[in-house]
Amino acid sequence: MIADYLILSIVLFCIGLLGVISRRNVFTVFMSIELMLNAANLAFVAFARLHESMDGHVLAMMVMAVAAAEAALALAVVILLHKHKSKLDTNVFSLLKG
Amino acid sequence: MEHTATYLGLIPLMPLIGAVVIGLMHMFTCTGRKIPEMVYSVLAVAGPVVSTLLALKTFFHLRAMPEEGRFLTQKVFTWFKVGELDVAMGFLADPLSVLMIVFVTFIGTLIHFYSIGYMAGDENYGKFFAYLNLFLGAMLILVLGDGPVVMFVGWEGVGLCSYLLISFYATDRDNVLAGNKAFIVNRIGDLGFVLGMSLLFWAIGSGGFDYLALRGNAADLAPGMGLAICLLLFVGATGKSAQIPLYVWLPDAMAGPTPVSALIHAATMVTAGVYMVARFSFLYAHAPLAGTVVAWVGILTALLAAVFGMFQKDIKKVLAYSTVSQLGYMFAGVGVAAYSAGIFHVFTHAFFKALLFLGAGSVICALHHQQDIWKMGGLKAKMPTTYWTMLIGCLALAGCPLLAGFFSKDEILYMALANGHTGVWLVGVIVAAMTAYYTFRMFFLVFHGAPRDQEAFSHAQESPKVMTIPLIILAVGAVFAGYLNLPAIFGGDQQVTHWLASSLVERHPHGSVGMEIFAIGASILAFGVGIYVAYKKFWLGAEEPEYTGFAKFAYNLFYVDQFYHAVLVRPYKAIGSTIQAVLEPYVTDGHVKISTILYQLLGRTFKVFQVGYVRIYALYMVIGLSLMSLFLSQTLN
Amino acid sequence: MLAELLFTVFALLAVVGALGLVLSRHPMNGAINLVMTMISLAGLYALLSAKLIFALQLIVYAGAIMSLILFIIMFLNIKKEDLPDERSRWGYYLGGAVIIAPVGMLMAKAVRRLPGSEATIVGDGFGGVKEVGLVLFREWLLPFEFVSILLLVALVGAVVLAGKRRSAK
Repeated sequence: MIADYLILSIVLFCIGLLGVISRRNVFTVFMSIELMLNAANLAFVAFARLHESMDGHVLAMMVMAVAAAEAALALAVVILLHKHKSKLDTNVFSLLKG
Repeated sequence: MEHTATYLGLIPLMPLIGAVVIGLMHMFTCTGRKIPEMVYSVLAVAGPVVSTLLALKTFFHLRAMPEEGRFLTQKVFTWFKVGELDVAMGFLADPLSVLMIVFVTFIGTLIHFYSIGYMAGDENYGKFFAYLNLFLGAMLILVLGDGPVVMFVGWEGVGLCSYLLISFYATDRDNVLAGNKAFIVNRIGDLGFVLGMSLLFWAIGSGGFDYLALRGNAADLAPGMGLAICLLLFVGATGKSAQIPLYVWLPDAMAGPTPVSALIHAATMVTAGVYMVARFSFLYAHAPLAGTVVAWVGILTALLAAVFGMFQKDIKKVLAYSTVSQLGYMFAGVGVAAYSAGIFHVFTHAFFKALLFLGAGSVICALHHQQDIWKMGGLKAKMPTTYWTMLIGCLALAGCPLLAGFFSKDEILYMALANGHTGVWLVGVIVAAMTAYYTFRMFFLVFHGAPRDQEAFSHAQESPKVMTIPLIILAVGAVFAGYLNLPAIFGGDQQVTHWLASSLVERHPHGSVGMEIFAIGASILAFGVGIYVAYKKFWLGAEEPEYTGFAKFAYNLFYVDQFYHAVLVRPYKAIGSTIQAVLEPYVTDGHVKISTILYQLLGRTFKVFQVGYVRIYALYMVIGLSLMSLFLSQTLN
Repeated sequence: MLAELLFTVFALLAVVGALGLVLSRHPMNGAINLVMTMISLAGLYALLSAKLIFALQLIVYAGAIMSLILFIIMFLNIKKEDLPDERSRWGYYLGGAVIIAPVGMLMAKAVRRLPGSEATIVGDGFGGVKEVGLVLFREWLLPFEFVSILLLVALVGAVVLAGKRRSAK
């Protein structure tokens, strides 16, 4: 039964990965990353249930904390990028070209 | 008996140290405040004077030794050991080398003193003496070396110094070209020398590659190999001592200062080839064909140079061709296996040729660097010391009886006749007549008759003592040096020949007394004829003639230089430009360029992937992840 | 029975929300979809007896993070013209699906080989605040401290990054 949760986690992760590589909107990319993190959280908690230990829950909490920090900083960067070019397209920032 | 001496190494070392010290002093002060010339002068003559004293000491030391085993050696350090070749920087003082170093250091010292006066006021005063000391050191290494390799070190060293000193007045492009010519032509000869040396090592070098060992093993040499070695070594000598076909650099070398011409291109460096043949007498004695080749090349060079000398108008060029001619005599001497006669002529020639050059330098200095004899005249009145010393020098060169040149030149001609080389003897007599003619042509035109350039004449005056005293000393040598090898017919006992006997492998033929008197008579007759013709034409002063026909051909040196340029230099340059234009860009550079092009191609290929969009980079990561998981899922099953 | 029904409902909602996020054009729509996914995930945590995580998911993720994202989206006042040109995204979807499929396959295979993935009965205190707290402050104390420093760094960083530039550089 736990396998079902894990399969769900895999599906969500893959959808998130799809979103990262196929969308150009910075917000969508960022939210896809959050989706991937959530999928990982689900896997952690499922395994904690399987092994009957709390470590998975603790790790899930850590992941949430890190995701919160990352969200704050990423959004600050998005605001800066928008200030710079007033565009929300990841393809606009291509100084690494060549 | 003790054969090692500890002071031999100092003989070349003293001038070399002087060269380094003076060179450094000049280098660090040539743009700033100058060091007074007196300092340079003292330092410059210190080395040669010490070397002269040491050379004399060596001479007396050797004289005290018995005739068997009359040599001194010194090994300073082992230079390199490769397989069977074990070369040490060593010196050998045997009668031959001691004779050479005595007059080399003596005349070298005199010319150093002379140069103090001649080069006074020149802004590169220090550089001149550095080079001159360096030359003296290299020449002494050449002569004192105990094996062919050490001799070659000195050989190259004197070639280098010759180049440096010929191009001394480097602001004039022609001088630099003359220096280049000297060095390059020398180099061609050096190739022959190196080949000969290598063959020699290959044949008999395994028992030790110094003269004493080689002489001991010379009997093991196959005749064909010996002939090849002798001829190749002689090629080196034609380069260094300006014989046919490599004599073309010596007249151009007159572009250097006159003391340089005196020391290097008259007395010492150019005689290195003759010394080399004499040193290898143990090889040449077993290859008579090589000796004949040497003798004929020598005497033909003498003839050719004499023809040229008869028509030149630059005083130094006359003397240059005279040097080439006399060198031809020396080679004729060593070629007919009369090694001691050839070396003796080297000895006497050094005195009177150096004297003539220094005297010419005195004249040139007095007339403010006028070198055209058709613009001189009547200088007897103005420069008496120079006049009398030059007269002695000219008489010695022409072979006047009782002076040095007569005894040495006559010895060579007599030996040629006695050894059966009648053709060599005949050409030699003709050249003697021509020598007398062109020598006194120059002498009469410069010192007698009415002055042709009144303005220069009025400013002319006798040179300072520091220049005339060496002239006097050399004149004394030119008169009396001949008596050192007085032949038996005049009551002497041939001291030089006996002194050199232990160094050389020589037969002494016994021609009849009649033959000897015949030869002497022919020489005196040649001398008289030459002087008489010169007297008739030039005593009362003559004007510069327009040369036509053969005279013009000879004045232009038979166009040999132009011939060499057209046949050798221009094709070589064409090859060079072809290589530069075609070979280099495509073949040599092409390979390097291919690798750079490949790198660029590789880079450009990978550049395609660097699109600059972070999303695509994430896609690359996912692709990698996907491939990895494809692979892993195989293993998972 | 009820548990399985709930699981199916929550799972479907989560997947629909995720797809909605990835497929929708305007980020606002995507954000709302993501909120739906997060709430259903919270439900799934509850089904897994993870009481604390369930609460934290609702409070922190769906509550704080998503509202922050929504705030920023609305702050930037995105109109239809500001959105990037994403007509080519369908190709990327297809290609991406093809590429990601092996990754998913691998993970699925790994899951299938896991031993003993049946549910067991757990005790009452499993997943509660006290139990998680005990584990947290005993074994995981050091990471806990580091995470707090991390949060401080993030706070300072966010202020510096998005704050007004004082010097006239």
